[in-house]
Amino acid sequence: MELSLQNLSVAISGNEILKSISLTVREGEFVSLLGASGCGKSTLLKAIAGIIPQSGGSVIIGGKSADMLPTHRRGTVIVFQDFRLFPHMSAAENIGFPLKMRGAARSEYAKTALELLEKVQLKGFENRMPHEMSGGQIQRVALARALAASPNVLLLDEPFSSLDVNLRQDMRSLVLRLQREFEITTVLVTHDRHEALTMSDRIALMADGSILQYDTPEKIFQSPASRQVAEYLGDASYLEGFVKDGIFKSGIVEFPSDKPNGLYQAMLRPSMVRIAPEGDKSFRIAELSYQGESYSALLEHLETGAKIRTLIQSPCPYRLGDKVALSIDTDKAILFPANK
Amino acid sequence: MKNKRSLFHKIIVYTAILSIAAPIMVLLLWSFASRWAWPKLLPEGFSLRAFDELFGPHSPVMPVLLSSMGISLGVAVLSAAIGTITARAIALYDFWGKELVSFGSILPIIVPGTAFAMGIHVVFIRLGLADTVLGVMLVHIIYALPYTVNIMLDVTRLVGDTHEVQSRVLGVSPSRTFIHVSLPQLMPGIMSSISMAYIISFSQYFLTLMIGGGSVKTFAVMMVPFIQSGDRTISSAYSLLFLASTAAVFIMIEALIKRFAFWRDKTE
Repeated sequence: MELSLQNLSVAISGNEILKSISLTVREGEFVSLLGASGCGKSTLLKAIAGIIPQSGGSVIIGGKSADMLPTHRRGTVIVFQDFRLFPHMSAAENIGFPLKMRGAARSEYAKTALELLEKVQLKGFENRMPHEMSGGQIQRVALARALAASPNVLLLDEPFSSLDVNLRQDMRSLVLRLQREFEITTVLVTHDRHEALTMSDRIALMADGSILQYDTPEKIFQSPASRQVAEYLGDASYLEGFVKDGIFKSGIVEFPSDKPNGLYQAMLRPSMVRIAPEGDKSFRIAELSYQGESYSALLEHLETGAKIRTLIQSPCPYRLGDKVALSIDTDKAILFPANK
Repeated sequence: MKNKRSLFHKIIVYTAILSIAAPIMVLLLWSFASRWAWPKLLPEGFSLRAFDELFGPHSPVMPVLLSSMGISLGVAVLSAAIGTITARAIALYDFWGKELVSFGSILPIIVPGTAFAMGIHVVFIRLGLADTVLGVMLVHIIYALPYTVNIMLDVTRLVGDTHEVQSRVLGVSPSRTFIHVSLPQLMPGIMSSISMAYIISFSQYFLTLMIGGGSVKTFAVMMVPFIQSGDRTISSAYSLLFLASTAAVFIMIEALIKRFAFWRDKTE
């Protein structure tokens, strides 16, 4: 079902946690709420589910206002970070619980539980108790239980953050596969930009109780609305400069731009910068750190002192202090007005 | 080293067993003794006087014991229920006057028993509750509540409301959530509360005498005069019966706990 938030505000003991949030998640869409901890993304999830009362605005689910509906009538199922399996029920009982409580016959919910266990690749685990399962298995059961409740909107609250790195990728694929199969409108809360970029149809980037930008992963990465958005999505370096008569100029690069005249900062991703084999060696390697497949290098412009970050493939032929030339791919550089 | 440790361990275990078993053995001997004066190591004669007193055809003891167990079980279940609800309010909800309720729940054990009983007595006379079984049960409940509230407060805080929230987002109503999700997890604490409140109520002498005014006879009310009068044979027999009946109730509660013990397979 479509989920729509209109000017949703939440205040907890006088503190405004969410400031007039408006957001529409289309039916069957996978949307990530991305932001640093404390930005209000988990609060937003709880407000959607009606666990935290809203102080203003509306939550609209499937075209109908859910403002007056208590949590258990909203059909907004949350999978929490700590999974919360009921400790006194087996895996199958946990999964069958939402159906059992709706008055389904024993044979019916037992059958659904077995089917869903198979869907989350836990065939044969029906009689396991939660304390007999690993973190990944517990999460699969929690996911199956959420699906058993046939949610209008599935809300995932940082569900992968407590898992091992290796397991995370498997779980992400499983979640995406099930989400597509069941066509469930899904909202994922995460602070992991990689997770948001790889999984989502659209990303809502949040900071300080507001949504800074709501767009597809490609657009939000390639044309961030502000420096804050750009910085959250990846490493960036900035070159101070100005635009005059359609040309951006800094001490290092010059390229055409359609921005009006004024002071700007040109944002460069590490991937836009490469060390050139030939040319004017006007940069010095100021920092070099090993990162496995590549080195992250901070290059300092000898003349202006401007610093630019880039990646160098391993093995790295350079050493700290070496002087190098750079080729900068200015086509993708993004200009932000300088806020001075 | 290991030997020393196991020896120490044995000493503790046997001391514990001895300190429970020895007094019971003495009670058992006394119950059937006719005369047992110092410095004799064993009674000089045996009799079934106490047995007659307790179980004889005209003895009121068994009916009183049964009604007393009934009163105490009623008190235990009710105060565990009130304790569960109060603890839930204090642990999970914010409301005006919460600190006051929290403090008020331990007042009955802070105020000296006599002062407490006198005050309650006056109130109960006005309400017409003095000298009634209901009055006695009420005063026992009030006296047992601080214990049950505190036991349940710990358990409720431990269980928390995270599973309840999970259940509600899965579409289960709050009342069904409480029955199917919270109650099973609170059950061990509820059983402890019942045991605690039972023993408090069952051993209550002064409060029962004061509020019941002698017309409500409980086992403790019948037993204490024998102890005070120094009739050791009868007192010992009463004490043994007291222990046996309480043990029976506790075994019953224990069996109920096992029924709810979802952690039964937990071995780590």
